[in-house]
Amino acid sequence: MKRRDLEHRGGSPAALAGVGTIWVLCYLLALHALRSWTLTPWQTLLLTALPALAGGVFLALFVLHLRALDELKRRIHLEALAIAFPLCTILLMTLGLMGLAIELPAAWGYRKAWLCLPLLYLVGFAIASRRYR
Amino acid sequence: MKSRVRELREQRGWSQAQLAEELDVSRQTVNAIETGKYDPSLPLAFAIARLFRLKIENLFDPDA
Repeated sequence: MKRRDLEHRGGSPAALAGVGTIWVLCYLLALHALRSWTLTPWQTLLLTALPALAGGVFLALFVLHLRALDELKRRIHLEALAIAFPLCTILLMTLGLMGLAIELPAAWGYRKAWLCLPLLYLVGFAIASRRYR
Repeated sequence: MKSRVRELREQRGWSQAQLAEELDVSRQTVNAIETGKYDPSLPLAFAIARLFRLKIENLFDPDA
C-alpha cells in the first residue's frame, strides 16, 4: 500500500490538527469545570476522562500519520523523540531537586509538567528537521 | 554516503518531486539522499537502483 493511501485512512495532518484542537479544548473545559463548578463525583470522573479520550483518538490518528510517512520523516520523528525524552527527564529531575531546595511557584508544579514533553518534542522536531533540510 | 542519484535524475530530466513520486517518498527524502545527508534504507536503495536500471554498488559509494 502506498503512503498516500495510508494517509487517506485518517492520519492526514488536517485530521490531526482538528482532533488536536478538540483535545486541547476538552482539556481547557475540564480544567475550568473542575476548578469552578460544583460537580458530583460522576461528573468529575467524566470531565477528567474526557481529555484522556480525546488524547486517545489523537494518539490513534498520530500512529496512522506516522505509518503514512516515508522513512526519512519517520526518522525525524524518532530523533525528535530521542531529543525530547532526555531533555524532559533532565528538566523534571532538575525541578525535583530544586523543589527540595526552594519553594517553587505553582506554575512549575507536576500538574503542568506534562506540557514539557510535547513542547520539547517540537524543539526536537525542529532540530531534526533542520538536519535533513 | 555519496550517490549518483542527482546525476542520474538530471540526465533523465526529472525533478526531485517526480523522482519522489516514482519512489513513493517525499521530495525532502530525495533531496537528503542527493546531498548525502541521509542514507536510504536497503529497500529504498533497491527501488532507486531498479528505477535507474543499475546495481546498488554502481549507484552508491559507501567509502566516499
